[in-house]
This record gives sequence, C-alpha cells and structure tokens, in this order.
Amino acid sequence: MSDRVSDTPDAPNGSDPAATGVAADGGVADGSTADEPPLDPTADEPELDRGIIEAWAARMISNPDRAYRATFYVATIFFLVTTLFPFYWLFMVAITPRGNLSDVGVLTPGGFNPGAFIEIFTTLPFHRYVFNSFLIATIATVAVLLVGSLAGYVFGRLRFKGRNAMLLLVLVTSFFPPAAFFIPLNRLFNRNVDALRPLIADGSLYNTPYAIFIPLSAIFLPLSIFILMTFYSQIPDGLEDAARVEGTTRLGALFRVIVPLSAPGVATAGVLTFISVYNEYFFSSLMTDGRAGSWAPMLEGILRFQGEFEVLFNLMAAASIVAVLPVAILVVVAQEKIVSGLTSGAVKE
Amino acid sequence: MSTDTRSDRGGSLFARPLDWLETQSEEVYAYVLLLPAFALLALVAFYPLIETFRFSLLADSVASADPFGEFVGIENYVALLTGDTPFTQQFISVSTTSGFPFVQFDAPFFQQALFVTLAFAILSVLFETTIGFGQALVLDKDFYGRRWVRVSIIIPWAIPIVIQGMIFFLMFNPTIGFGTEFMQWLGVFGDNPLSSSTDSFMIVLVADIWKTTAFMALLILAGLQSIDRGLYDVAKVSGASPWQRFRYITLPLVAPALLVAMLFRTMDAMRIYGLIDATAGCETVPSLTCLVIISLQNSRRWATASAVAFLTAVVISAFVVAYLLALRNSNGGVA
Repeated sequence: MSDRVSDTPDAPNGSDPAATGVAADGGVADGSTADEPPLDPTADEPELDRGIIEAWAARMISNPDRAYRATFYVATIFFLVTTLFPFYWLFMVAITPRGNLSDVGVLTPGGFNPGAFIEIFTTLPFHRYVFNSFLIATIATVAVLLVGSLAGYVFGRLRFKGRNAMLLLVLVTSFFPPAAFFIPLNRLFNRNVDALRPLIADGSLYNTPYAIFIPLSAIFLPLSIFILMTFYSQIPDGLEDAARVEGTTRLGALFRVIVPLSAPGVATAGVLTFISVYNEYFFSSLMTDGRAGSWAPMLEGILRFQGEFEVLFNLMAAASIVAVLPVAILVVVAQEKIVSGLTSGAVKE
Repeated sequence: MSTDTRSDRGGSLFARPLDWLETQSEEVYAYVLLLPAFALLALVAFYPLIETFRFSLLADSVASADPFGEFVGIENYVALLTGDTPFTQQFISVSTTSGFPFVQFDAPFFQQALFVTLAFAILSVLFETTIGFGQALVLDKDFYGRRWVRVSIIIPWAIPIVIQGMIFFLMFNPTIGFGTEFMQWLGVFGDNPLSSSTDSFMIVLVADIWKTTAFMALLILAGLQSIDRGLYDVAKVSGASPWQRFRYITLPLVAPALLVAMLFRTMDAMRIYGLIDATAGCETVPSLTCLVIISLQNSRRWATASAVAFLTAVVISAFVVAYLLALRNSNGGVA
C-alpha cells in the first residue's frame, strides 16, 4: 500500500502540471485512476507494481513466518540507520571547509578539508582537554574499583546486622539528582582550606581534578558496588577458606583470590565507570572555569569552539569525533562486559 | 620465621591494623570494610543533601558576601509553589508556556520547569520503552552479524552527553543542518527551532530517545533472555501466532524487568540538564536542574536554588515510590 502512495504522485507530476496540486497529498487512488488512460507507459508501471505487491502479499499471507522475517530485517536496518547515521553526518560536517558549511547535505559534505582534525589541536589545546578527561576518568575508576571492591565483598559475602538497611542506603543515593548535592559541594570546593595549601596553590579544590572526580566517584559508586557484589557472591566459599588456611590475611584473601577470580566483573565495573565519568556533564561542566590549564574536561573543549566572535561548527564536529573515538573503541572491545554489567546491576535492583 | 620478624619491624604501620582486623568478628570486619564507601557517600551525598535542605530554609541574600540570610522556614518552598519567586527569566516565561497547551499562559517559572521535566520524563520513557522493546526483540534473535548490530545499537548510549548535544545542535542549526528544513517541510518547526521552546523540547526529546533507547533495550533484553524457551515451543504446538506468543508469554514475563528499567530511566530523565545546556540552552527549555543552575549563576539566589534542588529530589523520590509499589503489585500478581 505504501509503495503505491509514493509511486503515484510521480506520474502526474511529470506529465500533467495542472493535476499536481491535487494528487500530491490527498486522494491518491482517485488521481491515479483518472490519469491512467492517457499515459500508457506510466499506467503500466503501477499495474505491474501492484501485481508484484499482490503476489508478495499473497505469499506473506500463505506463509506468515516470511512476513515476520521481513519485518525483522526491516526493523534491524531501521535501527542500524537511525543509530549510526548521526555519526556519519557529523563526519560530513567535520570535513566540510568552514566557508561551505551551508552546503552540507544529508549524505554529502560541502567540500573536503581534513585539516579540521589538525586545527582543533592548534586553535585550542584540545589534546589537553581530552587528557584531563582521561586522567579524571582513570582516577575515578581506580577509586571506585578499590572502594567498591571492599563494599561489594562485604555485601556479597558477609552476614552482619543492618546489611539490608545499608544496601538500601547505597541504592537510595543513586536515586537523587546531582543537583541536590551540587550547592553544598560547590561551596565546599570553593572554600580555601589552609591544610591543602602545600598541595594546591590557593588551597581550594575548584579548578582541580579533585573537584570533578570526588563527586563522580561517589555518584557512580553504587552501580559498581551492585555489579561487584553479584560477581563476588558467586565465588565458592571453599576457595576463600583454602586461602585463609594457607595463611593469607582476610584482606589478602579478598585481593589475591576473590578479586582475580572475578576479573570479568571487575572489568565490567571498571569499563562502565570509565565511560560514565568520561561522559558526565553536570559536575564536569560546573566544577572548573573551563580553561584547559584548570583541568577542564573534554566537554568544555568542545563547547569552547563556540567562540565569542565566530562559531567554528566544523571544528566542533571534528573535536566531537576525536572525543567519541575512545568510547566507541571501548564499546566495540568490551560490549559483552557492558551488556552484562548494565543488566546485572539492574536485575539486582 | 624470618618473614614474620621482618613484617613486624618494617610494616608495622600496615601490619598492626591488619593484625587487629584479623582478630575481629565478621561483623566488625564488615563495618570496617564499608567505611571507605560510606565515607565517600557521606561526603558527596548524605552531607550535601542535608545541607541543601538546610540552605533551602534560609533566605536569599543576593548582595552580601555570604549568599544565605536568616532562617525563614518553608517560605522559599511556598514562594516557589505559588509562583512568587522572582526569577530573572520571568519575562521569558510567557513565551515559554505559550508552546505547551497544558500550562496557563503566565505560569510561574518553577511550575513550567516542573512541567517540562515531567513531560520530558514521561514522553522520553514512553518512547524509549517502545523502541527499546523493538530493539531488544531484534537482539534476542540469533542471526549472522548480531554482535555488530548490538555494538551499533549500544554506541549512542556510550557517547558523551556533550557530543550527543553537539550532533543535534548542528543538525537543527538553520544554516548547517537539514533537520530544520525537514521539520519545516513537515510543517512542525519554525524558522529557528533552537530558540523556540516547543521546537527545542522536541529536539531534546528526540536526542534523548536516540541516545538512551539502547539502555532500555539492554535491560529488556536481559528480561527476554531469562524467559524459558520451552514456553514458546508449547505455545507453537498449541497453535499460538507470534503475536499471541508475544502478548501472552513475552509481555507478562518481561514486565518486572521492564518496570525496573523504566524506573532507572525515569530517575535519569528527571535529572536532565547536560543535553539541554549543550543544545538549546537552559533558558529555552527550563528543566528543574536547569532552574537550579539558573538561579545560582544568573541571580545568585542560593537559597532558592537549594529549595528547587531539594524539591527535585522530592519529586524523583515520589516517582521511585510509585514504581516500587507497582513493581510489588506486579510481583504479587505473578507469584
């Protein structure tokens, strides 16, 4: 049916200018039957088309599995196009010279200028922004894995009073919006603390990586605790007991036996934390003044191309592509981990 | 023997607490190991949450060095909910509301923000659940190249919010992108969609659906894969059509996982900030979190901002409770 709708307006458009207005949107069936007699070549085509469609429809009816399989392929292709097309188009904008940006089509660039991928590093120290993001994400991941391993071990393997209440408390913190934490934290990090002066020039945490990775570690900690808890609880007790009999300490048994045996779980929690911190917007955009030297993360770099005098759209697009590559590679390499991590974290509830 | 003495002399800083830990009961050991996690959560979550609530009970003091004035009780909340709070963007509020039919024309800014946030959360979760279900059904099949289809469906979920914003910002930029032209051709958008509240709301909604549908798909997929495949064989033998199999086996069995996934998404959608900030800007599509930042940065109303932030948390908690009740009912219905 839909094929016929798209076919018929072409016939009147090409042949009879007077009829175009009528046939363009409404009354397709009427318009086509009225136009068919005088136009022999085009009149044949809808006939032939309908024959094919009818035959196809008949086959679908006699064999419904075919219809379901066709729907499946159409859906798959639709999902692939909708998810990947924006990246393709972003690339088209990135390689278009700045003067021709209005020529960017849906599928074609407005010119060819791969120099934009060099320019992003000379106009702004974009590599520094990406480095800042990497550093913050790495520190946060290490911190979350360490603290989360301890907590995940406790929740997964030990029995103690108040376990469920404490687990609920961890869960509840992941419900609250970061905005509810922001104002006191902002005040705290802007305060000059004399004790920090030897470490940081003016004694305040604003414009340092600490101001971003401390809040983000805490915010993404609950998810990691749930993932690690699930994995750690699956290690048989006997292995831990054996290690203890061999003479390791309690902590030794955790870090020498349980953590290595749950390596996939640790990797999962690590990958998810890294991606989440790298992608975060709220704290990342508010805890620094946006200069590369103040440890501003990658997102400030991209937004900086929206300069005071000119918006460098092609550089924004190029910078976005450069910044998306690390996570895209991580997804391709670690997709099993991501899938299992997201689902185990959620199913555990 | 020799190792023992060495560790006693050299590593006493670490060895002594470890030795002490060895001798404690399992319960004490558990609490000690939980200490770092709860210290971090206390610093970043519990303490700020209580402070936010305390701040929200103080008066704004815009001019002085300390942004908080005397104790005023729930006055900030009353002013917010009745619309007496003077936001600097008040004049924009009229044009903002004109786009949304359910709010009266001169609705106070807070109520608009609440409306925008709720509308965004409900619509985005609705679309993401439907489309995510479709993606999950595709991924549940075994076919050649499934791994790569899954990768490409996950990738939008994994990209930074700022880049997601950038893509849609460029796409709907009137000179560069094709989005504006296309939507105008459909007769939906005006000339500059990124400065119109209604149009921007739709752009933000589409951008969010594009990115986070994958998350829903993965959670639903987990639910789908936990279904016993034997049930489908039984249904097939009894002559159930694929639609009937979906309606009477898949849907009821996947419902608990679906509700959990929707809960996670709703909480997340109600925190929307970064996407709006990177595309249309907070003044055009004011969400609740946007309102916190606006009142902090533009007018230095710290106490009001705290009240908005705490109300946001309250609204989200209300949703969480509603979902948990629904979840318990659905569990009770199945078991």
